[in-house]
Amino acid sequence: MSRSLLLQLARLGDLIQSLPVIHSLRTDFPERQLDLLCAAPLVSLGRFFSGIDRVYPWDGERWRSFSTLAGKDEKDLVEAAEHYLTDFAFDSYPLAYNLNNHPRSILAAHLFGERVIGSGDLGPLNSSRPPWVDYLHQVACERGDNRIHLADAFCGICGVMPPALTPILEPPDLELPGDITQIINDSSLIKIGIVLGAGDADRRVPVATWKRLIEGCAEHLPNSVCVLIGGAGEREIGMAVENQLSTIYLSRILNCVGRTTLPQLANVLHRCQWVVGSDTGPLHLGVACGARAIGWYFSRARVHETGPYGVGHYVWQYRGTPSTASINGAYDKEYLHVPSTWPVLETLELMQDQDGGTGLLEWELWNSKRDKWGMFYTSGEASEVGITQREEAWSQLSHCLSNHQVVSNSHAKIAG
Amino acid sequence: MNIFQRNLEILRQHDPALAAKIAETSGGVLRIQSAKSGVPTAMHKNRDIHSAYDPLREAERWADHQIGNCQSGETLIVLGLGLFYHVEALLAKLPQDSIIIVVVPNLSELVDGLAVRSLDGWGERVCWVWGQPESLASQVARQAKRIRLLTYEPALMIHQAEYETFRSRLRDQLAKGVSGRLHIMVVGPIYGGSLPIAGYMVRALEALGHRVSWVDHSLHAPGFQNLNAIQDSRLRMTVQQRFSDTLGVITLAHVAEDPPDLVLAMSQAPLSMAVLEQMRRKKVITAMWFVENFRHLTYWQQMIEGYDFWFVMQQASCMEAFKNAGASHVSYLPLAADPTLHQPITLTCDDQLELGADVSFLGAGYRNRREILPVLLGKEWTFKLWGNEWDRAGALALVLQRNGARIDTQTSVKIFNATSVNVNLHSYTGSGFDPDGDGVNPRTFELASCGAFQVIDHRSLLPEIFDDSMMAVVRNPDELLPVVRTYLHEPELRKIMAEKSRQRVVHSHTYVHRMQTMLSTMGLACPDRIGAILQGDRQAEALLTRSQDCPELQTLLKTFPKTDRVELVDLANAIRQKNPETKLRREELLILMMDEYRQETRDFI
Repeated sequence: MSRSLLLQLARLGDLIQSLPVIHSLRTDFPERQLDLLCAAPLVSLGRFFSGIDRVYPWDGERWRSFSTLAGKDEKDLVEAAEHYLTDFAFDSYPLAYNLNNHPRSILAAHLFGERVIGSGDLGPLNSSRPPWVDYLHQVACERGDNRIHLADAFCGICGVMPPALTPILEPPDLELPGDITQIINDSSLIKIGIVLGAGDADRRVPVATWKRLIEGCAEHLPNSVCVLIGGAGEREIGMAVENQLSTIYLSRILNCVGRTTLPQLANVLHRCQWVVGSDTGPLHLGVACGARAIGWYFSRARVHETGPYGVGHYVWQYRGTPSTASINGAYDKEYLHVPSTWPVLETLELMQDQDGGTGLLEWELWNSKRDKWGMFYTSGEASEVGITQREEAWSQLSHCLSNHQVVSNSHAKIAG
Repeated sequence: MNIFQRNLEILRQHDPALAAKIAETSGGVLRIQSAKSGVPTAMHKNRDIHSAYDPLREAERWADHQIGNCQSGETLIVLGLGLFYHVEALLAKLPQDSIIIVVVPNLSELVDGLAVRSLDGWGERVCWVWGQPESLASQVARQAKRIRLLTYEPALMIHQAEYETFRSRLRDQLAKGVSGRLHIMVVGPIYGGSLPIAGYMVRALEALGHRVSWVDHSLHAPGFQNLNAIQDSRLRMTVQQRFSDTLGVITLAHVAEDPPDLVLAMSQAPLSMAVLEQMRRKKVITAMWFVENFRHLTYWQQMIEGYDFWFVMQQASCMEAFKNAGASHVSYLPLAADPTLHQPITLTCDDQLELGADVSFLGAGYRNRREILPVLLGKEWTFKLWGNEWDRAGALALVLQRNGARIDTQTSVKIFNATSVNVNLHSYTGSGFDPDGDGVNPRTFELASCGAFQVIDHRSLLPEIFDDSMMAVVRNPDELLPVVRTYLHEPELRKIMAEKSRQRVVHSHTYVHRMQTMLSTMGLACPDRIGAILQGDRQAEALLTRSQDCPELQTLLKTFPKTDRVELVDLANAIRQKNPETKLRREELLILMMDEYRQETRDFI
């Protein structure tokens, strides 16, 4: 049986957004073993990915320590690195799929893969980019009106179509702290995951806003419980939210911030009906575990590339203050501005299956859908031209995709 | 056959000369007695050399501590003899084929040890070097590369002076054999007297072949001095502190972008403890040359633990104070001159007219100078006073030149050359001469280097640098006037003395000498880092030799000139120069990968 390795060395959100390409690769090449190389802290989650046989950790700290070993010869450094690779029994592969355009990922792909598909396919010293990678690079640099979702672009990079169905992550039952278990397993409750933190400080929602949302949930959604979600570094935010809430609402929250491992968090999110927040990583995880998402996207987060993957999700995209918004409705170039208002009531309406309103000047509501070209988001206000342009982009970027069989054959050839 | 005789037999097999010498030497340095554990222990002048309870356990702990710092490929040199429990314990922790060198400055002490402690099973792995300190240093320097000195302090104290001389000579010997090239970042002050010294250091280090990055904060001096416009003194000091902190962060950014082997800071360099701690976290070795009077400027106390190495221009009391305050390494390093700048010159008529005088003084207006120098006024000679901070100079205002402007290096060299008798009084905030005056100021070296004659106030450290045949030394202010008068009438003698002082500088007291001493001091203390680089361990040729079993690396290393220093970044850059179509080998990919992580600077600041 031939084997291949998928490299995804980026953060949580990117790893979860790799589920579609994993699904498509397994569907198209069922006979081929697929292993995953991901950041060491995410390995525990990667082990639950359906379709993945083996997960290898990429330990940046170890590599960093090799590079700063004072007084060591390069020979010793190379030996140390080899020992590390041996310790984890890193295998070599006829084929490596590389999803990241970072030099480290390109080098890793060539370390393990005889042939590379994706970033750096022509070698670590060759600066040319394959079409899909170049497309993503341009999107990142120019922030144009792109409508191809990042997860689908990952499929494009690997030469497969987006999956027909949205892949779901099925976390195994894991033991959780008693208070969490009790509430999370109570099927009479509506559980709403509130993602408190953000990867970067400029993507954080104010504590007072979370307080309003939690109070709103308690008032308008009977039997609801807000599950506070975040990493260990966000414990203080979780406590601040608790401290600001009136005692009558404390029974309506479950503070899980910093109390779960990633697989445990997946377990918690698996039981949530909704997940709300600005941190795309946990949002993607929540969606992969079956929750519906309402994202509040501002700063660098963009709905079209990184909106929650699947059908039936919402994203409130910040479009700038009225004074700085451009006339044609395109995103404000000053996207780093912090919003002055937040779509709290509108989010509550969406969770009550109402339309969420369109009266907000700073925010635009987007709704997720899908077709054969993958995921896309639509808004009542925006032009639909971008959606139809996706087909053209796919045909340009993946010249063989009109005949899927040809792609399969070509990959079978590459994989030997 | 008793213990001593058996030991002699062991010694004879490896060093017959030593064995013969031992046979005719008597002991008596150590007083031997029994420890509580039953084994012999020793005392010297009522001080324990080994534990009175359990010398074996004590030696074990010492060896454990030392071994943690040692790296493979180093030659271990033990200073401090006693009954060599520590030597045996150290050997037990090393591979069977390893040898250590033990320095023996006094054979009687060794005789005492050999009489009560058996060398059976381990003595053959010791190389005893013995003799006078100069000879000891030569032997060690000849035999060993990548030297790591390990000191057993209780025994070291017995012959401390000899060991100090040994260290000093060893440092000099190693400095001569330096072939490696360091990357040194020199961090200068924003302004002040130590600023030109930073420049001399940079020139000297470059002359020695090292790569120098000068973080020149004098570029920010106008901005910093503009802050004097802030009236509220507390507010002004706060803003100045913030300004200074920012310059420290700028220094960190330079370190992050082009990491040096060593950051060498000059007095008054704007490096806060936070910045120094960050450098330590990032494994950057730091050193400070503190060219101030430690009694007058005391900010070193707050910074003492921030630097790995301190170099000071004063001796005993200063070094003791620094050590007591927590300095891990402190060394005496007097100031110097740069003979390529401070040199004899022929002046133009105009310069001679403006800058020349029978008697001159150049320096800032400290209290003692204000009180002493007026004695030179109104005499049969011309007297000119140069320098700044002479406001309200009283009678001296009559001879103050250029309205008390700060004099640059180039002009000062002209003044020294154009003056018959240069008066050199060390600064002091009290009256008369500083009774604790020890360190010698830079002007002393600069005048000498210019071949200019000087009358200088006595300093306790002056005689070991210059002697009375090189300059006129006055021991109290009353001697100044007659001495100046005497020498004004002795032009030939002045010329001879000045030339001798110049020769002394060129031979022993240039900044190049100082930098050699400084680097070899650090090399001895950090044999695995600074020492190894200085000894040429990072040169392509040495790396090639050590990578025999790695042919891929050999191919790469052969592309470098043999004496070029080669680091991870150089190898990575060489790989990146290859044709983009090249299929890289595994070792090349690993080198590139490690270089990617080496470049990471995101958490530096």
